Amino acid sequence: MPPDHNLDDYVDPYSPGHRHGGPLRVGLGGPVGSGKTALAAALCRTLGTEYDLAVVTNDIYTTEDADFLRRNAVLPDDRIEAVQTGCCPHTAIRDDITANLDAVELLESRHPGLELVLVESGGDNLTASFSYGLVDVQIFVIDVAGGDKVPRKGGPGVTASDLLVVNKTDLAPMVGADLGVMRRDSDAVRGDKPTLLISLREDPAATEVAEWVRQQVRARALQEA
Amino acid sequence: MTAALLALADSRLPAGGHAHSGGVEQAITAGVLTDPGSLAAFLRRRLTTAGAVAAGLAAAACRSADDAAALAVLDAEADARTPSPAQRAASRQQGRGLVRVASRAWPDPAWASLPAQPHHPLALGVAAATAGLTPRDAAHAAAYLAVSGPATAAQRLLAMDPITVAAVTARLSPEIDRVADDAAAGDLPADTDPLLDLLTEVHAARNDRFFAS
Amino acid sequence: MRTLVEVVARCDARGRTVLPVVRASGQLAVRRTGPTTVHLVATAFGPLGGDDAEIRLVVEEGARLAVRSVAAAVVLPARGESPSSRQVVRAEVAGALDLAPEPTVVTARADHRAEVRVQLTEAAELTVTEQVLLGRRGEDPGRWTGTTRVERSGRPLLHTTVSLGPGAPAWLPPVAPRAYVSTVRIGEPRPEVRTGLDAVRLPLAGGWVGTAWAGELHDAVAALASVTEDAALAEVAR
Repeated sequence: MPPDHNLDDYVDPYSPGHRHGGPLRVGLGGPVGSGKTALAAALCRTLGTEYDLAVVTNDIYTTEDADFLRRNAVLPDDRIEAVQTGCCPHTAIRDDITANLDAVELLESRHPGLELVLVESGGDNLTASFSYGLVDVQIFVIDVAGGDKVPRKGGPGVTASDLLVVNKTDLAPMVGADLGVMRRDSDAVRGDKPTLLISLREDPAATEVAEWVRQQVRARALQEA
Repeated sequence: MTAALLALADSRLPAGGHAHSGGVEQAITAGVLTDPGSLAAFLRRRLTTAGAVAAGLAAAACRSADDAAALAVLDAEADARTPSPAQRAASRQQGRGLVRVASRAWPDPAWASLPAQPHHPLALGVAAATAGLTPRDAAHAAAYLAVSGPATAAQRLLAMDPITVAAVTARLSPEIDRVADDAAAGDLPADTDPLLDLLTEVHAARNDRFFAS
Repeated sequence: MRTLVEVVARCDARGRTVLPVVRASGQLAVRRTGPTTVHLVATAFGPLGGDDAEIRLVVEEGARLAVRSVAAAVVLPARGESPSSRQVVRAEVAGALDLAPEPTVVTARADHRAEVRVQLTEAAELTVTEQVLLGRRGEDPGRWTGTTRVERSGRPLLHTTVSLGPGAPAWLPPVAPRAYVSTVRIGEPRPEVRTGLDAVRLPLAGGWVGTAWAGELHDAVAALASVTEDAALAEVAR
């Protein structure tokens, strides 16, 4: 390379995290059955009256999650978009985010005042994570029933997500999971990043998670200003 | 400019292609596509019909990349060759996806000449032009993409041996080249496969599908 | 051999259709069989490989024209290495054209190219029905390539080429039908899609196009009727 060559020639100046305007985009990922859809529904109920809100679902095979949200009348139909993931829910949120961006942009154009978009991934494994080209922050949801070893096993979802949610704490005594171990292991692999142990059965409003989301919305608003 | 062509035809280019099977998902459900032999037959059908049309349109769009009026005419010609609403939607969805990534990769005033949600081959033609490629290159990328994405879809859906699928696609190379060369050199092809129209429309009406098309 | 057919339909001062031009040369004759109807009559065997026919139709504003044929066209190969035969219909329509000839049967070794090119004005109406059978009973299929282009006010509504028969790249097992039928209808908007067993109807701006295929012609016609909800067609299929 010649000494005067500018490396910026190769770099695209656009930075997704510095989008101007538009809603906060929150990714909701995690293994099948950990409670992603239930958490999305809870956040819609709790935050739906505070924010102009919409949801994108990435089901593996059907529009079941979108249908669940519609059936439970958590959100009106025109605030829910389902995308097909071509057998690769993982690809759709990380490697080729086109369909999800299309869905988010469609919701943004339909609801110009949108403040918050939840992007729920298809149930995947512990290696799944969202591209920051698609979301601003991401929540990874695991559950106690999967065993207390899950946080120790790590994986990008557990270690690098902006918020780790350990759901179904009410089941801990039944499955012999030690919540103390899960808390300790999570903190060990996650450094400063927060972890919340919750039970959506006991707290259907997902109070703590909703509060974390509020902080993120405020942080983005500050960044914008 | 070969490297830019490779980038444009790379299945990892995040332009949304991975969620489209090009009729493969429904062909499998209908029992038309079951094994490597019928995959080869299906890809050949697709290549010589939708693939030829896409190649011709991509080459023409590459030639007229900064001419909004010419691109609008080509967009109408693409619609006339794609009467299936599901195929039109799939093409425009992928066109939009390609514009998103290619206009960032190769910024150029030519992007402003395209209609808002262009047919995919038009976006491909303009992408080729902005990347410094030729109309013939654009045709090759279009013809190749007409089979490579669907081949991957079949591999995922049937859990086929990926090496077998790669071999099927690779062996289609001479035909891909011929279709692309013919399409780039002659009048706009209009070849159509009514079976593909039927499969895509039945597929679009399903609720239980992995792929967008 | 070159064949040329020309028909002009015009609306007279009293609002009735008249046919000031009805003429043919070559292997087709044309007969007036009704106030707004003409029939094409083959005057020789064929078409044969190498034959070239052009049918020019003009339907002026307010006029109606129906074009039929008296019998199926049986396309035969020329001796030895047979070149393809060709038939082109060119229509300019400001009134209403209904083009529905009897089936084209393409015998073994024959290669037939059919083209229908129609230019419509904004208010024009069009119905084009094509029926194709590859091979007579017990015979190998021939090769048929059909191109349809319909423009309205210079803008393309439909442009498709269908290739059938051995050697056609998209005519491959397990879907390699011997019978193929299609109807293009403009002037009757039907925005919804209909699918059936080996039949599909797709919307066009201001109209629709239906296609169907089967092993036997009557099955293809019945399949088309099932998606086009066309009573006359259903009658033909029975």
